[in-house]
This record gives sequence, structure tokens and C-alpha cells, in this order.
Amino acid sequence: MRLTIFNGSPRGEDSNTRVLLEHFINGFTATSGNTYELAYLIKKDNGNSVRLFQEAEHVLLAFPLYYDAMPGHVKTFIESLEPFCGRRNDLEIAFIVQSGYPEAVHSASLKPYLEGLVKQLGCKYTGTVALGGVEVIRATPALSNKRLFESFRKLGEVFGKTGALDRQVVAKLAKPEKYSEFQVKFLNLAANILCWHPLLKKNHAYERRFAKPDTAGLESV
Amino acid sequence: MKTIVLNGNPDASNTIFEDYLNKLSSTLAAANHMVTLFNLRDMGIRYCTGCLGCFVKTPGECIVKDASADMRRKYINSDFALLASPVIMGFTSALLKTAQDRLTPLLLPYFELSADGVRHVGRYAKFPSIGLLLEKSPHTAGDTIRIIHDIYKRYATNIKSSLLFVKLTDSPVEAVVNEINHL
Repeated sequence: MRLTIFNGSPRGEDSNTRVLLEHFINGFTATSGNTYELAYLIKKDNGNSVRLFQEAEHVLLAFPLYYDAMPGHVKTFIESLEPFCGRRNDLEIAFIVQSGYPEAVHSASLKPYLEGLVKQLGCKYTGTVALGGVEVIRATPALSNKRLFESFRKLGEVFGKTGALDRQVVAKLAKPEKYSEFQVKFLNLAANILCWHPLLKKNHAYERRFAKPDTAGLESV
Repeated sequence: MKTIVLNGNPDASNTIFEDYLNKLSSTLAAANHMVTLFNLRDMGIRYCTGCLGCFVKTPGECIVKDASADMRRKYINSDFALLASPVIMGFTSALLKTAQDRLTPLLLPYFELSADGVRHVGRYAKFPSIGLLLEKSPHTAGDTIRIIHDIYKRYATNIKSSLLFVKLTDSPVEAVVNEINHL
């Protein structure tokens, strides 16, 4: 199987999306003969991504959720696919949507759009892997993300054999769907200790963390 | 009432959309709204890089310096924000979405629980309420508007606001103005 992967993270090679994809690819290439191409949508590529799409057999588009949808540059890419509507009926498209917010519900809300998009393109919809809590990869050691990485390896492995997304793994990744008040308190505590406050202090910005520059100097604040 | 209009139409030759928005802005102005119209396609607003600098380096400010700073300042000092876009490939335009992404400095890094999940806390006490204006294309599928509506309802909670309406440009300008006047 030949897979064309688009990494839609604004952070490009330094992205959580890349880490997830690495594990997916490890599983995918376990089947001999499977090959893949990988393009970073944030890079200026003079239409290379569109060409890759045009020549693809299977497509995997992976991106982080920005404000409940795709980041702006991923939408730019999607708009550049308009000429292919109805011309690539054999093409199968799968998605990975991950959010920094801890719950999968955020990413899941985009599924109907992605399914509709594939329909408009006239392609075949493989499915969407939606998950939350991925920003934590940056802040924690690889060992603590072992199960997440194993899930992505398994996804890639099954996809590499069947061209489908393993339902059990997709369902497992879709948890937790929602956080409780208590969990949010814990999240804040952990994020402040491990991430926000050390970074703010390192940047000498801790005292200014509540700054309101956009209403400064205005009468009606 | 202070109203900001973000025009996400990428195609200046789409005069139907442009005329609609201009008529809407002038009708609102005539009804004593202070209207600021941003034509996003002329502003060269760059993509959010996801650097989190607005949380941890220059709190409340974006490290990427471009016209988004002006837009963001106007946005947070408005009572109402009209997001306007033609439907392109089943969604609002990349232009509009890119502008939305660049509003992140209006949020704090901290989390709180909202009706639809964990969200960032607002940096400011007051955010403009939101209306969405869409122009359908001949390719717009039957459920597209509902899908966009659902996503923007979530988006509104994300940006500490609420989505007051979704209107299509095939409804009369006066109908949209009425919605805004009733706020």
C-alpha cells in the first residue's frame, strides 16, 4: 500500500502530530511493501502537496484542532483541492484530529465536516481518529505516553494491512469524552507546575501573565 | 454599539458578497452602530504558529507582528463581532479561520470547564458576542450550514462568547440588521 501523509500542524517537524504520526508509520511499514510519503503543510512547497494529493492512493491528513476546526493553513490546503472534486473517486482519505484540550469531544465535533468534505471531493471516507490531551506529549517523558504511542502503532499496523482504522483503538482514543470539575482542577495544577509557570518565569513574564495590552489606554475597559 | 465585521471573502470579484457586506455595514452605521470593517484579504494576516508565546513570553501579545494586532484590539473592544465568509469547500474561508486563530492572545493559559468541555480562561472580562454570515455556493451540500453552525457554536464558547445567529446572504440585509439591533 502507498500512503500519502499530510502533517497539518503549524509547528511542522516540532509538532505533537509528528510524534503521533511516527508511531503510526512504524506500525504501517511493518507490512512489507508498504511505502509512504510525508508532507508538512506549513512549509512553502510551490504546490507540491497538491501534486502529492493528485497522485495519492491513500491519504492521511493529520492536524491539531485550532478553535474547534482545522488550523488556517490546513483550510488553505483544503481550498487548493477544489479542482479535484469528483476527479479522484478511487482515493481513500483518513484523518487524525488531536486537541490540546484533554477531551476527545472537541476533535470529534469536526467529524461530520470531514466526512462531508470527502463526499464533496468525491473520494472515499476511511474515518477519523479523534483524540484529546495531546499537548501533554511535550511536557512529559515518552515513557508516560507509552500507551498512547502503542495505540498509534497499532492503528498504523492495522491500517497497513487492511486500509481501515481499527475500531477498538479509535474507540479507546476517544476517551475521556468529558472532564469533571475535579479533573480540571487537577489539570490546572499540573499544567501550572509543569508547564505554564516555569515557562513564564524563564521568560521573565510571570508578573505580566494577566496582562491586558489590548484594553490598555482605553476609557471603556 | 461597537461592531466589528471580519470580511473573510478571498475573492474581490465576488461583488454580490461585497455589495451585501457594504450595504450591511452602512445600514448598521445609519442605525448608530460604530462599525469597523476589516477586509481580511487585504491584510496579509499570517498563520498562527502555535508557539504559545502569547501565553508564556509576551502575555496577551502575539510574537508574529502583522495587521492581526490591530484587528485583535478592535475585536476585544467591540460589543459584537460579525464573522462573514462565503462557504468554500464546506466551511468558512481559510482567511477567516486564520484570523480566528490569531485571536489566541485574548485568552489565558489557564483552564476552566465550560458547557462543552475544558476551555482556556479569558484574558479580558468581556468578549464581543458573535454572529456568522455565510454565502452558500452551488456546491454547498444540504447539511453544510448546520455543520458550520455546530462548529461555530463551539468556537464561540472557546473565545468566551456566544453565537447569536447564523444568517445566509440570501436573506435580506434588513433581517441581519434586525438581529443585530435586537442585541
